[in-house]
Amino acid sequence: MTPGTSAVLFVTLRIAAALALGATLGWFAGAWWLGVCGVLVLYLAWNLWQLWELHSWLRNRGVADPPDAMGLWGDVVAQVVRLHRRKRFHKERLARLFRELRRSTAAMPDGVVMLDPKGEIIWFNRKAGEMLDLSRRADLGLRIDNFVRHPDFVQYLRGNEYSAPVIVRPDVNQEKYLAFQLISYGEDQRMLMLRDVTREVRLEQMRKDFVANASHELRSPLTVIAGYLETISADPGIGELAGPINEMRRQADRMTRIIEDLLELSRFEANDGPIKGQPIDVAAMAALLRKDVLARTTHPASVEVAIESGASLIGDEAMVQSAFSNLVDNAAKYTPPGGSMTIRWWTDEQGGHFSVRDTGPGIPAEHLPRLTERFYRVDPGRSRETGGSGLGLAIVKHALYRHGARLEIDSVEGRGSTFTCHFPAERLFEQRAAANG
Amino acid sequence: METADLSHHISRRFNEDLERVRNQVLAMGGMVELQLANAVTALIEGDSNLGASVGRDDSKVNGMEVSIDEECQRILATRSPAAGDLRVIVAIIKTITDLERIGDEGEKIGYIASRLASMERPADKYREIKHLGRIVSEMVHQALDAFARLDSEAALRVARQDRIVDEEYESIQRQCITFMMEDPRSIRRALDVMWIVRALERIGDHAKNICEYVIYMVHGKDVRHTRLEDIERDLRSRSSGV
Repeated sequence: MTPGTSAVLFVTLRIAAALALGATLGWFAGAWWLGVCGVLVLYLAWNLWQLWELHSWLRNRGVADPPDAMGLWGDVVAQVVRLHRRKRFHKERLARLFRELRRSTAAMPDGVVMLDPKGEIIWFNRKAGEMLDLSRRADLGLRIDNFVRHPDFVQYLRGNEYSAPVIVRPDVNQEKYLAFQLISYGEDQRMLMLRDVTREVRLEQMRKDFVANASHELRSPLTVIAGYLETISADPGIGELAGPINEMRRQADRMTRIIEDLLELSRFEANDGPIKGQPIDVAAMAALLRKDVLARTTHPASVEVAIESGASLIGDEAMVQSAFSNLVDNAAKYTPPGGSMTIRWWTDEQGGHFSVRDTGPGIPAEHLPRLTERFYRVDPGRSRETGGSGLGLAIVKHALYRHGARLEIDSVEGRGSTFTCHFPAERLFEQRAAANG
Repeated sequence: METADLSHHISRRFNEDLERVRNQVLAMGGMVELQLANAVTALIEGDSNLGASVGRDDSKVNGMEVSIDEECQRILATRSPAAGDLRVIVAIIKTITDLERIGDEGEKIGYIASRLASMERPADKYREIKHLGRIVSEMVHQALDAFARLDSEAALRVARQDRIVDEEYESIQRQCITFMMEDPRSIRRALDVMWIVRALERIGDHAKNICEYVIYMVHGKDVRHTRLEDIERDLRSRSSGV
């Protein structure tokens, strides 16, 4: 038996007892039904009184104390009080949580803007308001791209590729760069995170400028040194100094090459956007590269060119040439005279692929991830011997990056390496039927 | 019941149409802003590639003008808007013309900048032009912000800046004349500089025009060829009177 049913049972018993008492009293007075009626009237009046008490308490329960009632009414009052307390507790907790949330987002170092599916501003924190010069009073409900109108951002907002942030200057008159990152959540809701990256952008720019300027400044004195060394080495009177002077010439040549590569790299880096370019005949380029390899004093026994597609590649010819020739050069350098190398160009639904395979010593797996870093050497002694600048693969990587392409390196130690450039399909230009295979 | 639903539907679609055109105008404005900033940067830094790229971007701006124009015509033909909606469409049609002209002026600056890049730069590194360019592109930026917020007070503030642009223009003009008199060899460059300053001054005028369209859009009052003080007094009496 639950407490509720027992209370009801108790009340029923009590009414029955009262009715019985009333009937007995009435019977003594001569009309038993008068007694019953009297008890019922009293009971009804008591009930109404309790109901009225409860009602007036519920109306201003915020201030008044709950009424003292007995029996079933007391139970009802107790239940209401409990419900009311629980509700107030939850409400306070929610309000507290919300306050905390708002305070913490306001204190966040990054800006946050919540957007609805159409890109309208639902809410933003204080930092975002400062960064974008938004006012809470006027700008809620307006679209974010009405304020950040930079074409790059508009494109980013309309696209659906949010993985990388887009860096723009919201006001072209201010040297302030913001990184915008969209995050999708819920149904079509989006959150925009803003971060001030002015410092990073400036540092990066300074670094690029420094490399470009330093290389440029080093080039002139080096040209003078190389020139004199050449004149001296041609002089028959130098006698036993011939050895050292020739070594100096070789090293000066190497330095020139490094500086040229550095300049090339900084030229590629000067602009970050993807390039449009023109169709490039990959077959002709590969044939020329093969010729260059065969013109070396020592070269691999066989250099094969396999052109399996007639498609041209759309890009900047000088950049692609530089990337491909760096790959071919590396392969030629590391393949022993008895080995072979293969240059291959093919296309499929993923896009175009240019690969250079060699039968050189291969690269240990632990070096692969760092291979495209500047001046990274797998074997310092050996690469200095071959006279590389240490920048070749960095140039390749950057040239490919500008074309939306990526470099894949497969290598087995002792068997050889394959460097493959994967170009996206939109970079291909099919003019002739692909039948050159 | 059904008719009521339908009309509601149509007006919602209409609202969406208007909203879309407005967004396109602002996207176009964003392009023009960037174009202008790039053109001025190309001149200050002597970057001929950047200067030439401004001209290439101009075709995109022109394309947007045509497409927004067509959209406005379509709205006018199919929805026959009235009152506030009509004003919005009229203001948009006018605004994009001015934006397109700003783009043209930007292209001109970019072109001259790429030519000047090959010449020796003056000792002051075009400081005055930089200053003027900043005021002007700030004006364009704020005019577009006012357009986005339909903020007639901000529009009026921007329109007031046009006077500063005119003063700067005068002062650079005088300076150029002095240079030309001092050293006839500088005449060629001074003339190019004059063209650029003139273009910037025109852009200031176009930004002011856009602000006037904003006021027209909000208050339904044509304020062209009216003195700024009169506009101000008029707007104030309206807001206090109502």
